Amino acid sequence: MNDEKKEAPALSVKSAKELKLPTAVLALDISPDTKTAFASCLDGGVYAVDLGSGEQHKLGEHDSYASGAALIAGSPLLVSAGYDGVLQWHHIEERRTVRKVSAHNFWSWQLAAAPDGEFVASVTGQYICGGYKYEPLPEREPSVRVHDAKTGRLVHSFSHVPPVQCAAFSSNGKFLAAGNLMGEVRVWELASGKQVASFTTPSFTGWGIIKGHYYTGGIFALHFAANDEELYAAGMSSTTDPAAGNGRQLWQRFSWRDGKKLGETKDSDSGRGLMETLAFHPSGKYFVMAGRLENGKWTMAFFDGATGAMMHSLDTKSRVTKALFSADGKKIFLAEALGQAKPKDGKVPDFGRISIYDIA
Amino acid sequence: MRRNIFKPLTCGGVDHRIHRRMFLQGLAAGATSLMSFGGLFSMPAFAQQAKREQKHCILLWLCGAPSQFETWDPKPRTPYGGPFKSIPTKVPGVHISELMPKCAGILDKLAVVRSMKTKQEEHFQAIDLLTRGNATRPPFVRPTLGSVLGQQLGQLDSPIPNFVLLDPCPEGNEFKEFKAGNWAGWLGAEYGPARFGGEFRPPDIDRVEGLSQSDHEAREELRKFFSKKFENERKSAAAASHNAVFERVKGLMSCAHLFDLEKLPPKEKENYGPGTFGLHTLMARNLVENGAPFVMVANGMPWDCHVFNHEIHQMLVPDLDRIVFQLVTDLEQRGLLEKTLVVVMGEFGRTPWLNLKRGRDHYPQAWSLALAGCGIRGGVVVGATDKLGVEVAEKPFNEQNLFATIFTALGLDPYAEYDVKDAANLPTFHRVENRAEPIREVLLKGGAA
Repeated sequence: MNDEKKEAPALSVKSAKELKLPTAVLALDISPDTKTAFASCLDGGVYAVDLGSGEQHKLGEHDSYASGAALIAGSPLLVSAGYDGVLQWHHIEERRTVRKVSAHNFWSWQLAAAPDGEFVASVTGQYICGGYKYEPLPEREPSVRVHDAKTGRLVHSFSHVPPVQCAAFSSNGKFLAAGNLMGEVRVWELASGKQVASFTTPSFTGWGIIKGHYYTGGIFALHFAANDEELYAAGMSSTTDPAAGNGRQLWQRFSWRDGKKLGETKDSDSGRGLMETLAFHPSGKYFVMAGRLENGKWTMAFFDGATGAMMHSLDTKSRVTKALFSADGKKIFLAEALGQAKPKDGKVPDFGRISIYDIA
Repeated sequence: MRRNIFKPLTCGGVDHRIHRRMFLQGLAAGATSLMSFGGLFSMPAFAQQAKREQKHCILLWLCGAPSQFETWDPKPRTPYGGPFKSIPTKVPGVHISELMPKCAGILDKLAVVRSMKTKQEEHFQAIDLLTRGNATRPPFVRPTLGSVLGQQLGQLDSPIPNFVLLDPCPEGNEFKEFKAGNWAGWLGAEYGPARFGGEFRPPDIDRVEGLSQSDHEAREELRKFFSKKFENERKSAAAASHNAVFERVKGLMSCAHLFDLEKLPPKEKENYGPGTFGLHTLMARNLVENGAPFVMVANGMPWDCHVFNHEIHQMLVPDLDRIVFQLVTDLEQRGLLEKTLVVVMGEFGRTPWLNLKRGRDHYPQAWSLALAGCGIRGGVVVGATDKLGVEVAEKPFNEQNLFATIFTALGLDPYAEYDVKDAANLPTFHRVENRAEPIREVLLKGGAA
């Protein structure tokens, strides 16, 4: 791939709607008819949000931050996950929680649902000092849990090095990938439960030299390409100052079977800041990476899938935690957090947002 | 009425007072008497008594400033409270962060202050404030806590430096700047810290390879004889100073093993480690056990979590939890806790509100710290913040209250006056200015000043 010589096609992205929520939205899914958003939030609540009226209805609540939200294809179920380590199943039509499964002893960092509605996967792991340089201690519980998406039954428990911060299913539902703080990606075949690949990219992980001697960063989002043979990872590039958060906005593309790196964000395209989400347009032609900005011009950017060239970018003035395209590809939905403000009259001002953009 | 800082103290026992008085006599004798300090302890029984009375202080310096929400003052399920729960402790009704289960189990030995309220919100100025205990007043540089305690509690015949700074991190932004500055202030450079940890150690203290211990000692005796002869005949202050340096180096050579991580017992390393902060805390315990009056343990500025506050605290706080538990437990088992003050603090707290980077920023308005050991009443939680952790709701304390507490706990007069030669025409300086009250609730005897 030669990113430098190819020009990106034009793309129009316009803000269509913005809904305020009282608390940061950490995870999001959208109903197929795009009328309802399902938001997992920092207050632990899992909400159904009417995207027309903005009305919010609480479906359930976690005992800590709610970090995951995934609709199960072909069912009326929404699965949520939280920093309480619990997975919850909610019936979205009856608006009630139907099942709770304790999946981890620590946070669920991220929840992913297989496109075919068969499995959900949740990843966990506490970063515990395990060496002189604060290398992570090996896991004390399986870092990856795969559950039957409809019954909640535990199907697989996979090992990894904690903390495991993100997971993604392949579009054909056959593979699961998970990435961690140290930049290691492991891939499992779900039918056999066998690990079929692993590779490590050092690009996302920093060891603190300036202020503290420990590791920060890692991979925060994974996404299989439409062909399922390539895997994208996102985060920020290594930084030697853990307190600065000023690594480069970074995605990398890999041939996951052999771990060969095929491409990454061009220096000229990226500013500084942590990227937390990847989403592919239904056409498979381009993808979005989004997160928050430390220094630069954008929090969300669209990249050509073939060339890696940036097609469009914008600054949402927020931390984008999740980006999702509508099935028809004409809209993109963002889950967002603003910085918390000081209380006014004893109340904390709203700091959550769901935004909708029209794409042409 | 002016009280001189070098006057005998009002507590600490008769022998302790004698110890200080003899130290003064040594000082009064002038520079050329430096070598005579060793002679003060020529009577073994007296030296042993002095050591029995020896008090110590270990400062676990959490530079960068930890979050009070994720440590001593949790506010679970509130908008600013973060993702961690609180857990009950050994003190009925008191909860701390779930990241500190070991400290929860020994909270009856700790005193927690939840209502620190200071004014400096930038690192350098706050480090300066919280290590010196009073605001700076240029051009006069107030000595840091370690320098004061090194001077006041130091053993004159100890080969171990009276102020040891253990910090393996060579960088550290503002703390690096601070470390390069003047720690001892008007007490003089001899009360500055000797820095160890990681690659930091005094140069040239290893015995020359191929030189046997007996040959080394014979050479030293010969050198000492000629140097002393020269010093006496010429009345040379330079020679006296030279000799003093040799004595210091000789002392360091004799205790070099205490600064060697490789020589720490594996089982103990397991209890404290494997991270650098824990291993250096174990080193601090060993140093105290061998007579060091003041050891400050740091590790750069790891707590400055403007980014990934929760993600970093979920690693650093359990490490701290284990280290504090192990240190306090070890000191108690060795009979050293009642003579050793342990201070666990940073230079301020962190904001209740989370920023866009998942971080908490600097917050001196309402923060927490913990104390244990010498002169401290365990199982006490003093002060409180409001429901959201934004303001101090009960009993605000500042750096002067804290330093008055530390000095009182160690049996030192917090209000004693410094004898600063250059400040003759200026208001006098005291260990703690404004006669700020100690935090009496955490003191065993309500103060000894």
